[in-house]
Amino acid sequence: MEPSLVTLGPHFSGTADDFPALLRRKGLLAPATVTSTSPVATPHQKSWQPTEATTILAFKFSGGVLVAGDRRATAGNTVVYDRADKVLEIDRQSIMAIAGVPATAWEMARVLEHSFQYFRRTQLQEMSVDGKVRALSKLLRDNIGFVMQGVGVVVPIFATYNSHPKPEARLYFYDAMGAQFEAADYAATGSGSPAVRGILYYENNWGGKPLQKTSEDEAISIALRALDTAAESDTSTGGVDRSGKIYPLIKIVSREGIRTLPESKIAAVFKETVA
Amino acid sequence: MIEEPYRWVEAIANRREYIEMQLASGSPIVALGYRDGILFLTFGQRRQKLFEIYDRIAMGAIGHPGDIERLRMAAIELASTEGFTRSAADVSLRRLVHYSLSPVMKGAFEQVYGAPYLARMLFAEVGDRPEEDLFLRVDYDGEIASNGATFTQARRDFAVLSGTRQSSEQMESFLQAEHSPDAGFEAALKSGLDAWSIGHMTLQTSDAKELPERTAITKYRQEQLAKAGVEAGILERDASRAIRYRSLLDKELRALIHE
Repeated sequence: MEPSLVTLGPHFSGTADDFPALLRRKGLLAPATVTSTSPVATPHQKSWQPTEATTILAFKFSGGVLVAGDRRATAGNTVVYDRADKVLEIDRQSIMAIAGVPATAWEMARVLEHSFQYFRRTQLQEMSVDGKVRALSKLLRDNIGFVMQGVGVVVPIFATYNSHPKPEARLYFYDAMGAQFEAADYAATGSGSPAVRGILYYENNWGGKPLQKTSEDEAISIALRALDTAAESDTSTGGVDRSGKIYPLIKIVSREGIRTLPESKIAAVFKETVA
Repeated sequence: MIEEPYRWVEAIANRREYIEMQLASGSPIVALGYRDGILFLTFGQRRQKLFEIYDRIAMGAIGHPGDIERLRMAAIELASTEGFTRSAADVSLRRLVHYSLSPVMKGAFEQVYGAPYLARMLFAEVGDRPEEDLFLRVDYDGEIASNGATFTQARRDFAVLSGTRQSSEQMESFLQAEHSPDAGFEAALKSGLDAWSIGHMTLQTSDAKELPERTAITKYRQEQLAKAGVEAGILERDASRAIRYRSLLDKELRALIHE
């Protein structure tokens, strides 16, 4: 905390800045990247390879939104870590689940977490859900340069609970350039997501009942089955490690806030309905 | 004119007198360390006086709203950038006040051609145990008072802020006798309201040597409660969550005030 950081000069305008802008002003965050206009790729080559090697899924159920992610982190075809945490709490009500380059994604989550706190403290009110959704979108767009270079792709899911004006769970997914889409029922991202999307679509339409009507145990079971299916064909998805007893990370966003399901609970549901 | 040293001293003295006069009507703020955290308390008349600064730090202030706002923003900026680049555990109220705010306020106060900060602030940082609670009061001239022990004074588990020195001294001597750090919330709330009442009563008299009678305090507190809203916030000691500050609603508090 250097004393010189106190800038209370005539140009001081704390209220006008959002948190990323404050960090940039102080040189603590890389400037929003601007890409060169000449793409390196030839017409026959994709300009960047998707590297979001993981599986993240989220869907609404009777008790809020369930967000689940496998635990595997990979670099190329090497598994570097089997207990990665890709479902991150941003504040008491919001979760960001990430597929993509961990360095960028975790930094983004950190900026986002601080942005929401900073907004509440300076503006003396909570940031609205739309504001939060937009803040993440802006971070993704600022990151576009790295995406184009193929080194910093992040494709997140954002789940939150809106208490005003109507109490309801809200679920959003993004593309790597920052476009946001509100999901009506479910969202999935990462390399294993095609399989997961198929399962969730099937469950929602022809399963026992629509996803939004499922109980917590049923929802957990669906999430575990979906991740296990994704892991079956996608090497980058850890699924459930039966020998190492490593289970996916599942968090639930509801009116009461965020709850991380204990491993024992997940293990019990897994044993009963999946294994 | 200020090339001559005695003129500078005179200018500073005038400025001090002017600021003291401006602050003299400020309604008191009480901060009490109790078993489960720190309670901040005042009677809100017109505008918000208690603020969250960071995970474990809160602030109360009297003075010009514009100056308070600039200092509040600076404190939040400093704490937030520190917490972001390092970690929340590295954000320290002691450093924030001693190294950042105090020099800036002293500088502004002594530059006689510029405007000083018309503000008096009370900061508190909640610790894991009551002995670790830190209270710092920063004045318009950068002067810092802490709750730490000195040669003449034992460590305190409370701090107050008021428009005049007399008023804060009265509140302090009351709390010195009445308040203990292992008090529960209701007891802390009661001593806080009483201390505020004493502080506010003292602002309206020119010479108050003795503390008012207990019945007079209670009567005054009841009168104030009947016409003004209580503004309060707590920094919770509970380490299970990162963000400890929570503002309390007037309604929540009134249910706990019995007499």
